[in-house]
Amino acid sequence: MTPRVMAVCGKGGVGKTMVSAILCGELCRRKDRKALIIDADHAGGLEMALHFPGGKSINQVRVETIQEIKKKNADQKDLARGIDYMVARALTERGNLAFLSLGRPEEVGCYCSVNNLLREAVEQLAVKFDFALIDAEAGIEQVNRNVMKAVDYLLLVSDTSAKAVRVAETIQKVAFKNTGETKAGLLVNRVHSEEEVEEIQSRTTLDVIGWVPEDETIRKFDGLNLSFFSLPSCPASEAVIKAAARAGILG
Amino acid sequence: MGLFDSVFRELERFVAGKRGSAGYRELPITDFSDWPSQDDLILEEETALELGNPKLGSLTLLAWREEKIEEDSIVLVGPDLPEIRNPSAPFARIVLVSGRFDDEYKCFCELRDVLYDIRLKGMMFRVLPSRQMIWTRVNTRALEQGFSLGHLGSALIENLRAVDFVSGVRVVFVTSGKQDLTALSGPAARAEKLVGAMMKMTEEMSYDCDSCQYNDVCNEVAELRRIRNRLKEGEKR
Repeated sequence: MTPRVMAVCGKGGVGKTMVSAILCGELCRRKDRKALIIDADHAGGLEMALHFPGGKSINQVRVETIQEIKKKNADQKDLARGIDYMVARALTERGNLAFLSLGRPEEVGCYCSVNNLLREAVEQLAVKFDFALIDAEAGIEQVNRNVMKAVDYLLLVSDTSAKAVRVAETIQKVAFKNTGETKAGLLVNRVHSEEEVEEIQSRTTLDVIGWVPEDETIRKFDGLNLSFFSLPSCPASEAVIKAAARAGILG
Repeated sequence: MGLFDSVFRELERFVAGKRGSAGYRELPITDFSDWPSQDDLILEEETALELGNPKLGSLTLLAWREEKIEEDSIVLVGPDLPEIRNPSAPFARIVLVSGRFDDEYKCFCELRDVLYDIRLKGMMFRVLPSRQMIWTRVNTRALEQGFSLGHLGSALIENLRAVDFVSGVRVVFVTSGKQDLTALSGPAARAEKLVGAMMKMTEEMSYDCDSCQYNDVCNEVAELRRIRNRLKEGEKR
């Protein structure tokens, strides 16, 4: 079955955002599905990599909702509608893609009902799209907090280091423990030789769905802060697209 | 005297003031039935028309009275969807209902749910209840197939008439301009206050009237005092 909600996860600095940005570019080029892109990394790297004009972040929506609650009375239903409205207005669009940034938490205090409604609003929004891609924050925290229970495919990204592979394994274990059914595949980034991948494959139980070579084009795009929407076909992008096709994410 | 009587009267005065003007017309309900129901996600690239962008003006309003609305109707003040020249237009959706409203809060919630649950193919709604705003997008295909505000009005009337305490419905759409939406700001503010007061006393169950922000409207509107007393009595029991 084709995954509908995919999260790109892994240790910090392994290239998650680069992989997400390449996939976004490809989804935009193909135009065959309406896709929701969620930048769940507080650093907002995907927003920068794609040059999406910054709309309101989910955390800004959260703050505004809390301010509304303080000012006016609303029951759960009105509150849910209001959040749904604000989340929809926070989307930034480009063709068949709609982009949503998580942002940084700013308002201190316990607003569990707002947080729950927000999560529900995002999940309900994601369901309306043909596909949703989440560029997750580094590590296992988001998976552990069960914030991504709607995710049905984890694209685990690692570099060739043992530490990065171990983090990917942990993420997969936690996600599987939480949901019992999330599929996962490992994409190894910054590979110098195929032997490196074979060596990783021999010491992990994860399904290695592909590997991405070191690529000057990516380095140049990163260095010059160019939008990944204009990334030309290059060995790295081809490798990511091929791996995504293997995982059933792209046809 | 009903909860929304004064709001209802003001809205009727607005409609009466527009009757006979160039932008005013009543859309025959029967001409607009049977538009398919569907929950659509509409992105910018497929949007033919956006209504109710907050920058241009947006309002959604519900009011009721006991005196029967003799005939269900759809009133349009301003151009209908195919006639709107700009890709984005101001929008107000006013729903006037007649019936019996024994428990105002329950009735309000039931009517509100009906308004929330309207789904029409090719139209996407978002509502911000705390600001009485409605934002909609209509896709190109729906417009090409002749989608009109009459279809929305017809669906609203059909669904509201299915509620057992409703005896009549008048739906008013305003697309004429920001000026007309501004003219509606008085009754809108009053309705907002009435709903806010009713919601506060029902949701919070706090009867410290002296410190309440809705003290003025509660003192003025007998129906709100009646709701408050009924809730107080219920709490004592």
